[in-house]
Amino acid sequence: AAMLKCGMNGSQVKVFGKAVQALSRISDELWLDPSEKGLALRSVNSCRSAYGCVLFSPLFFQHYQWSTSVEMNDNNRISNLNCKLGIKSILPIFRCLNSLERNVENCKIFTRSDKCKVIFQFFCRHGIKRTHNVCFQESQPLQVIFEKNTCSNTLMIQPRVLAEAIVLFTSNQEEVTLAVTPLNACIKSSNEESMDLTNSVYSEMFVGPDEFDFFQIGVDTEITFCFKELKGMLTFSEAIRAPISIHFDIPGKPIGLSIDDMLLEANFVLATLADEPSRGSSPQSTCLSQKRKRSDVVCSNSKAGEKNSKVTEYVSGKAARKRLYPDETLTDISTLENCGSPTVKRVNRDITEVPESSVSDTEEVPGSPYLRKFACMFFGALSSDPREHFDNPFDNLATASDSEEDMNNGSYSTS
Amino acid sequence: MKFRAKIVDAACLNHFTRVSNMIAKLAKTCTLRISPRHLNFILSDKVASGGVSMWCELEQENFFNEFQMEGVSAENNAIYLELTSENLSRALKTAQNARALKIKLTNKHFPCLTVSIELLSVSSSSRIVTHDIPIKVIPRKLWKDLQEPTVPDCDVSIYLPVLKTMKSVVERMKNISNHLTEMLHLQIIEANRNGDLNLKIESELVCVTTHFKDLGNPPFASENASQDRNPARMAEVHVDIRKFLQFLSGQQVNPTKAICNIVRNKVVHFDLLHEDVSLQYFIPALS
Repeated sequence: AAMLKCGMNGSQVKVFGKAVQALSRISDELWLDPSEKGLALRSVNSCRSAYGCVLFSPLFFQHYQWSTSVEMNDNNRISNLNCKLGIKSILPIFRCLNSLERNVENCKIFTRSDKCKVIFQFFCRHGIKRTHNVCFQESQPLQVIFEKNTCSNTLMIQPRVLAEAIVLFTSNQEEVTLAVTPLNACIKSSNEESMDLTNSVYSEMFVGPDEFDFFQIGVDTEITFCFKELKGMLTFSEAIRAPISIHFDIPGKPIGLSIDDMLLEANFVLATLADEPSRGSSPQSTCLSQKRKRSDVVCSNSKAGEKNSKVTEYVSGKAARKRLYPDETLTDISTLENCGSPTVKRVNRDITEVPESSVSDTEEVPGSPYLRKFACMFFGALSSDPREHFDNPFDNLATASDSEEDMNNGSYSTS
Repeated sequence: MKFRAKIVDAACLNHFTRVSNMIAKLAKTCTLRISPRHLNFILSDKVASGGVSMWCELEQENFFNEFQMEGVSAENNAIYLELTSENLSRALKTAQNARALKIKLTNKHFPCLTVSIELLSVSSSSRIVTHDIPIKVIPRKLWKDLQEPTVPDCDVSIYLPVLKTMKSVVERMKNISNHLTEMLHLQIIEANRNGDLNLKIESELVCVTTHFKDLGNPPFASENASQDRNPARMAEVHVDIRKFLQFLSGQQVNPTKAICNIVRNKVVHFDLLHEDVSLQYFIPALS
């Protein structure tokens, strides 16, 4: 059985708890995803427009052990710990982090894929031992591919400055627009939202380049995204006292925010509002985005060389999205079910030619008309080594737990 | 119609922010009246506010070092604007460490009160924050409903105790009255000319009273001809406890002066002075 076992001291628990709190802003569910890189906590929101991941390196923990399982039935399937937890079960465990830091001497997290539960044990002062058993749901984690290095614009900012900007916006405004030129950056209320809500205040704040630790603008742009999910990330970065790197491009392409510390790495990727074609996006920007899209999705997998690696990569769930540019082929990855190997191979190689017809409609999110226009995330199949598919045809397949309806008997049409 | 004003003094800015916070707690929507010497926040006693009315006045000289206004016309040199109070207080919240604050009347797509804040930042560059608060201009014909209320001839006039104490008492009374349906959120406020003030809630089953003594009565009250000869006689008024609590919750700081005027069975009038800002608040009696 796949297994995870790790231990932390009081101050590490505090950081871990802050990560859980930050991810709780994104969705109600959290994946525990161990690998040799460390323990990743992942979260995706229901309309797939926001993704968060905090990866704790093995060095972060006092001790860290994990393993996959090899099932001895057909074809030696390797499976990972596919562990999804409800955030409502976890948050109360990591409440009052300051007091946890003071009182907890040791915290152990242990789970096995055959046990259906994760055990959190806190060894506190005065000989008190607190144990929480949290049932988990078996579910393959979703992951987003976001190529930071190909983004035209990169900023690095201290969390305090960003926090001051966020305070400007009223709680009933969900979206914020970031407008940049090589000379300055402006954070302002989203125009679309302001115009529809007749009573809303329109706010804007200009921030000069010298307030940023790093300020590189390749293309003047204005991108709009939901910032509620950001607030958790801000608190997290303030807690670990690390600056935030922001990578973004043109409207429609996701914005990535990351924190890189020696012991952990946090990545939050948010969808941005796409320009309607009628708004006259220039031909140049269209080409730029086409090129970018391809490189985003078909990114080389660092594991390509590890043919014998025990770890499997995860394939997308469906990425439901609207077309951004009429002429372009969508580069969606649709859900794949366990099916015969010829189909699998074909899909994995022709990743960029997935037709729109196989993608179901954008999920409607009740009460928020704006989110319909958001481009959703790319979810990537990561292994680009075709040989790996021959040996282990089921390696890169995942059934996202909520998208069975896409497939009819596993056959995949490319018409 | 024109309006531009600027505050550069930190103390004035904080004071203005506090006033705005108080107004936001007292009235969701209110009228801002701009005249050459004053700014007024007004709530008139329409049905929407449940008969509650408010008149808050500040002298612009005490706050702004630049103030220019041009009213609707020369004879009617005032501007009446309707706004959501919270929008202003939230905008001012970002002016905590501001170097300067500017307010002006603008028309961007629709009429706005634009608040522009120059923030001090750690680095040498200053940050500019702008808020466009949507407003509605109130036409001249509706001005008559928004004039300064006349102070009624009251039966008793008394100084109030510390508002924070009153607030915690009234909060607890409200919690009790929530559970007893026959009470109908009724608060009895009664006072006499001996410096006694009682806050009461009563029903068939229970009666809770808090007594405040030795509060003192303002001097002019005793000149009123309609007063009883007996100074110990209580004048009482029954009001909606929720409105009373809302009024008390709005007072974050204890005022410099606080007087309560009771017109028996008609209205209770609170007359407060927060440093140099005057606030008058009227709660009508429940029939």
